[in-house]
Amino acid sequence: MIAYQSIGTALGMALFAWLMQTGLSGVDRKITARIQKRRGPVWYQNFRDVFKLLNKRSVTHGWIFDLGLLIALAGAIGTAMFMPMAGIIPLQGYDNFFMITYLAALGVFGRALSAGASGNPLAAIGVMRGLTQNIGYKLPYMVLVIVLINYYKTSSISGIAALQQVQGWSVLKMPLGVLVAFISLHGMLGKKPFDTYLAPSEVASGPMVEFGGKYLGLLNIAHEIAVFVEISLFVNLFLGGGATLAEFLLKYMAVYLLSSCLGAVMGRLRVEQVVRFYYKVPIGLTILQVLLFTLLYGGVS
Amino acid sequence: MNWLSLIVSLFLTGIAGYFIARIKPSLGAWIAMAASCAALLLVLLGGDALPGGPAWGLIRFEVTPLGWFFSLLIILVFSTNGIGSLAAKGRQHREPVYTMLYLFALAASLGVFAAENWLALFIFWEIAVWSSTFAIGLGNGRKGSVSYFGMSLLGSLMMLFAILAMGSAYQTFQIREALTTALQNPGPALMVFILMLGSSMVKLGIMPFHIWMPPAYTEAPDEFAPALAGGLSKLGAFTAFLVSAYLPISGFMGGSWRVKGLPALSYGLVLLASASIVFGTLMAIRQEDAKKLLAYSSAANGGYIIIGILMGTSMSVSGALVHLLAHALATTTAFSVLAVIVRQTGTSRMDALGGLAHRMPLTFLAFLTAILSLVGLPPMLGFVSKWLILQSLASQGLFLPAAAVVFGSIGSMLYAFRILSTVFLGQLKPRHRALQESSPGVLLSLAILSGATMGLGVYPSGLIQYTAKIEASLGMSETVQTAGLSIRGINGNLNALLIMGAFLIGMVIAGAIFFKAPRSRKVDLMDTYTAGEFIYSPELYHYGTQFAAPFERIYEKLPSISRVYAALASLTDDLGNLVKYLFFSPMPSRTALWISVVTILLIWGEVL
Repeated sequence: MIAYQSIGTALGMALFAWLMQTGLSGVDRKITARIQKRRGPVWYQNFRDVFKLLNKRSVTHGWIFDLGLLIALAGAIGTAMFMPMAGIIPLQGYDNFFMITYLAALGVFGRALSAGASGNPLAAIGVMRGLTQNIGYKLPYMVLVIVLINYYKTSSISGIAALQQVQGWSVLKMPLGVLVAFISLHGMLGKKPFDTYLAPSEVASGPMVEFGGKYLGLLNIAHEIAVFVEISLFVNLFLGGGATLAEFLLKYMAVYLLSSCLGAVMGRLRVEQVVRFYYKVPIGLTILQVLLFTLLYGGVS
Repeated sequence: MNWLSLIVSLFLTGIAGYFIARIKPSLGAWIAMAASCAALLLVLLGGDALPGGPAWGLIRFEVTPLGWFFSLLIILVFSTNGIGSLAAKGRQHREPVYTMLYLFALAASLGVFAAENWLALFIFWEIAVWSSTFAIGLGNGRKGSVSYFGMSLLGSLMMLFAILAMGSAYQTFQIREALTTALQNPGPALMVFILMLGSSMVKLGIMPFHIWMPPAYTEAPDEFAPALAGGLSKLGAFTAFLVSAYLPISGFMGGSWRVKGLPALSYGLVLLASASIVFGTLMAIRQEDAKKLLAYSSAANGGYIIIGILMGTSMSVSGALVHLLAHALATTTAFSVLAVIVRQTGTSRMDALGGLAHRMPLTFLAFLTAILSLVGLPPMLGFVSKWLILQSLASQGLFLPAAAVVFGSIGSMLYAFRILSTVFLGQLKPRHRALQESSPGVLLSLAILSGATMGLGVYPSGLIQYTAKIEASLGMSETVQTAGLSIRGINGNLNALLIMGAFLIGMVIAGAIFFKAPRSRKVDLMDTYTAGEFIYSPELYHYGTQFAAPFERIYEKLPSISRVYAALASLTDDLGNLVKYLFFSPMPSRTALWISVVTILLIWGEVL
């Protein structure tokens, strides 16, 4: 049986995920501003925004609009509850990679459902763009992780992280793969040049177009938790997790801020360009990496 | 009660149903529903210990765990669809025949699943094929039943050839005995395996045999499509399980080339199934008709089942069985919902619909459950099967098929969202404002199906234990393991209840924030941000046509297999015309020419 204590730890993990990532995205706003020669807001501006939004009246487009958003936030919180972080494993034995990926996808589906229910075609176009890109970046990412699971003989995320502490980080074994995974992560975070589904000037923020007030606030919370899950997965799977919490957080921040800096200096691609890019470069590199990995490490018996 | 009497009574009820429905057409649907529900009750209560009954010449039955699982699946599909079809109106003239064919198809499928020998299996298989061919023909159009029958004929011929080959070589038609004897002789074993698996692939709609699915699913009567897609197409999987369990490739080609621990032939077939997943997904994304979209998605899902069967590990076989059930439940739900929509709106074209969730919320919820299960998201049953299959692919190191499975999963998000968004979400067209929620019968059947999808998705242990029993009965040395509430994988565990728990905790937190915040004002669907445009017409304000255009553009030149079939057909046609031109001409001179040629040949033969 799962002890109550574990559930407490899991909930704590979800809360920590939100607090840390919301703070960090404030820092991100500051850094982006400085790169663009602006002063930028204070680092805790995002907390102010969320609380302000949650206290504002808003409009709704019906019960599916509400339900989708609740599924989105519940999916994000549920996923974060399983995420291990530097030896803190909330629900020991169940931090399975496939489970976390599919539960996170439920959150994404909830967001899409809510956006579609708004009745705004711009939202539907945005979701279509997002899901199309999703095929681009999830495919190489998941194939690489399947290679890792096969190599480490476990699909537990904390297990893979722990093995890397002994055997060396995955990044040393599959440098190309980690590059691809980082490009995928950059896409998953919705950073430029891969933010076609948000594209304010084309599709008016896409899926988010109809969200305001508490809806935008909840969406923001779900987004920050989802970002935590994506980056933590990357750190755990490819960068060896962390022996201590400080090490883990340091890697986490490095990955996130690198992605932010890259995003700050790039322009947006058109949606076709994004799709073609993903189907050429990352998938090509993935195939090369899987072949190399199989040759060098045997990969399989 | 035994299996023989169950089947005979279903056949007899079918015949009686024909005559009763001729007198009072509305009774036909009731008879089909009552008979299938009674069969469900019998099979459920009797369990897999139900006796086969006395032998009747070649017709002998034996209930195995695998056969019982398939029987339960198909009766569940037929009975829920029977309940849902009660509301169907406007098919008075075909009601008698339809009732008879419906029950014949069900009875014949039950015969296939419990047949003790190959000949009995084949006879029932053919009855099922013929009944469904005519049932499809009762819909709108001829192409559907013609292509279904054409492809089924190919499958049946392959199966018959394999059966006769085994019969003449080993003097036995007994299913297990024939296959295990074949295992000792590598030459015939290869042929039997390929033919048998080929016939299963035809039925499951695996590429390149999938071409019957889109026309058949679209043109079949709306109330027959769920039974066809959810139930009858699963007949193919049954023989695939039998053949790969008793005649495993590793058994007769053990010493040959191996790729990642699988014999090269298995690996090649797994790649074919993977191609079916990729192709089915790509084609599903670019369909404009909801039924065709689901047909191609079935072709993709058949791929997962075949991969699970061919890998042959305890987890993968269990995954294939669970996936079979998950897909049957989900497609039956989806096609039942589409039947309701087509009955009310007259179309299944996605861009002609939209916003229906606001008129039929309960139907929408059932459809959402089915779609989530098709995509493989928790807490639905489709997630459990995908998890099992992906785990076994990862542990075996089959990266290429794993990539196909991943592609199929992520790609299905795109077409699943498309069907949800264009049919149920978005703008409601003014002409659809008067649509009604589905009738209580349909809602009951949808509730049963969705309840099963979600219930088994949250608590799969019992189902997994039964798949372990099937594996043991098929003679597999290892069976899938469960521990308490969790499924034990090779490199990880799954506790579906825990996932649901975490999700519910998330839901409580999200709900608490949501309801604590100020109440929001409900606005009309047209009251949205339009970026400065003035739009007053809901018809024009719905994004439905060519939904994933940027993605579709990448593969618009994808070669179509139906062109190969069309070329083959025209070649046959030309050949026939040539023969007709040469030998069946009304011109006397040509006849005289052939008479002289034949005479010369005869004389030449005599002289030499």
